[in-house]
Amino acid sequence: MERRRLADLLFFTGFSPGAWVVVTAAVLSTATILIWRVPQHEGLEMWTFYRVHAQMYQGVTQTWNTDPANGKPVNVFLLDGTAMRQRLMSGFLSDTPVADLIEAERNMACLAFSGPIEDVGFVDLTDRLKEEGIYDRINTPSFSPWTSRGRIFGLPHDVHPVALAYRADIVEEAGIDVNEIETWEDFVRVMKPLVKDMDGDGKPDRYPLNLWYSAIGHIEVLILQAGGGFFDDDLQPIIDSEINARVIATCVSWMVGPDRIAIDAQPFTASGNFLRIEGRVVCELMADWMAGAWKVDMPGLSGKLKLMPLPAWEKGGRRTGVMGGTMLGIAKASEDFEDAWTFAKHLYLDPKLAEQLYKSNSIISPVREFWDLPIYDEPDPYFSNQASGRIFVNMAPDVPPRTSSPFSNLAFARVQEGVIALYHYAEQNKIYDVESLMPEARRQLKIAEAHVRELMDRNVFLKEEQP
Amino acid sequence: MTATTQHNRWVPYAFLAPFLVILVIFIAYPLYHSVVLSMKQTFGPSRSAFVGLENFRFLASDPLFWKALKNTTYFAAGSVLIQLPVSLGLALLLNRPDVRGRAVFRLIFFSPSLVGLVFVAMMFSLIFEKNTGLVNVLLHDMSPAFDPEFPWLQQYVMPTLVIAALWIYGGFNMIYFLAALQNVDKQLIEAAMVDGANAWQRFLHVTIPAIRPIATFIVLLSLIGSFQLFDLPYVLLSGAGPDNQGLTVVMYLFQMGWDQQDLGLASAIGWSLAMLLGIFALIYRWLSRASED
Repeated sequence: MERRRLADLLFFTGFSPGAWVVVTAAVLSTATILIWRVPQHEGLEMWTFYRVHAQMYQGVTQTWNTDPANGKPVNVFLLDGTAMRQRLMSGFLSDTPVADLIEAERNMACLAFSGPIEDVGFVDLTDRLKEEGIYDRINTPSFSPWTSRGRIFGLPHDVHPVALAYRADIVEEAGIDVNEIETWEDFVRVMKPLVKDMDGDGKPDRYPLNLWYSAIGHIEVLILQAGGGFFDDDLQPIIDSEINARVIATCVSWMVGPDRIAIDAQPFTASGNFLRIEGRVVCELMADWMAGAWKVDMPGLSGKLKLMPLPAWEKGGRRTGVMGGTMLGIAKASEDFEDAWTFAKHLYLDPKLAEQLYKSNSIISPVREFWDLPIYDEPDPYFSNQASGRIFVNMAPDVPPRTSSPFSNLAFARVQEGVIALYHYAEQNKIYDVESLMPEARRQLKIAEAHVRELMDRNVFLKEEQP
Repeated sequence: MTATTQHNRWVPYAFLAPFLVILVIFIAYPLYHSVVLSMKQTFGPSRSAFVGLENFRFLASDPLFWKALKNTTYFAAGSVLIQLPVSLGLALLLNRPDVRGRAVFRLIFFSPSLVGLVFVAMMFSLIFEKNTGLVNVLLHDMSPAFDPEFPWLQQYVMPTLVIAALWIYGGFNMIYFLAALQNVDKQLIEAAMVDGANAWQRFLHVTIPAIRPIATFIVLLSLIGSFQLFDLPYVLLSGAGPDNQGLTVVMYLFQMGWDQQDLGLASAIGWSLAMLLGIFALIYRWLSRASED
């Protein structure tokens, strides 16, 4: 009897109409989740973070999957970069499900290298690459971001050489001959007259170069071009160096003071693109992938731009840099390594796909034998009918190598802090010339290096590996 | 003892059991585990090495942790000293019966808190852009001497965050204050008026003591919320911003836990924050009691 009353109380009189709504919603949603079948994809899974890549790969996989001789079918998934980074690390560290093939960007991949080498979640491809002769076919510097402690964990997707893109309409109208530019010093001298007050408020708003302390990636390009870097081959920090200091001091001298030539037009933002379209930015460090992105984002600039090699830091010096990068890795958790490896080679080593990559993204292949493909010689209307592909290909062998320290992201952040501190130092003390900025630049880099070193010294797992 | 009474003795425990099980699994054990974790260095959950109090020692000498703490304290101070007085002011204004369209204004002021933080952060990132942002363009149009390159999001990050938070939470806190103000005994106010108290005296000696419990709650809530600041700067600045000017303690915890995969250090940061908030709460409680006495 009592039981019955309790049941009545709980299920009928005890619930208000609102509570019934909540209970019904809870029951229905639980039932829906239980009944809903998550679509299961047969075969291999591949993750990529870049929409344009995903679109290109959809077509490739469709063809690939029709031939049973190719093994298991491949399913490509596009993930947001941040989501992919979290899922990647969760998969590697906690054994949550992870794709068989993972197309990772540089800052994403180096996270996987933070622990003991045997804990890296990607398959070590070094021996395969060498045994199958792939290592010799690919531009050597392209392996460097995917190499940790001498082992290679990814197939390079690209080279990403950096040229200098300039607004040919503005430069030619001003009667400037870019052939006079060989070094950055020449660049400043020749391009300085383009600083202009466009809205008549008495302050210049057009500058020759997009470079700012907020874009540490651009400053890294220049540091690497000059022969500097943040880590040596043994992954020890070499942040506090004469070369690095000179580059950051020069960059700051361009950003501040009466001889300022640089502007802050942030990449891939509406405001940054507005400044570009308005012609307030004359020159831009331009990697091949950026050329592809600009064509989509700013079609109105078609025919107004031209490419030239980067000015060197000294006469006869390197006329290119490197920016960004992507690799294709295979997760150790993959149960079908052989099928995944076969598909990875098809995707990255097929000349037809190399052509497609260039057509859709303006990205040149890292495979040296493809550099003779006629597609790279075709005139590019976006760059005033220059053969932009050939310009990038010619730079490719000379791109500087990079290291892939797990502390790279940390080093970027610390160096950026140093550059910002140097900028404020120059502004506050009205010191604008490179030589006078050098002592402070060295001091800032010393602080940055000490902090990176301190964090590296804390890492007991990496210390265990040192002989 | 009859079977029924013995049966009844277990009933309270049976009713408590689900709560206790959930408490142990989801609160007590994770808390215990996070204390242990804070004394380890880790590489993900699978590798760890006991390092004692090294994580806390490192934090004490880590300039970034102190910077994060300074930034977070700045934001918390901005929340308490700017946001809450503004909320109270709005509540006082909209509590006046002679204000026409009070309901509409309440909705307008409250509506920002209905919008997601991520959306707000993206909106403010556009508003405070150099050269093309609404604020700089407007100020430059009003006074050409104003530099359209004024770097809000590069050199004035924390004031920008305080302004953004004011926009979101000002109306939200206003509702709390409004509820408190509507419960102030009108007879007390009328009595004060009869005694010749002016508006300021009535506010100070009648309204404030009456709303003190709710105000205490809002201050504490704002402080705790401010010290947990993460998503607003993370989206607004796409990270900690230049020179880590938008780095907050929770963001630093996230960076250490996820980017460096050192969950031990992240746990130590979490406990440091918890201890700090505990101290704040104790001080605040002590101050509140002292002022009540």
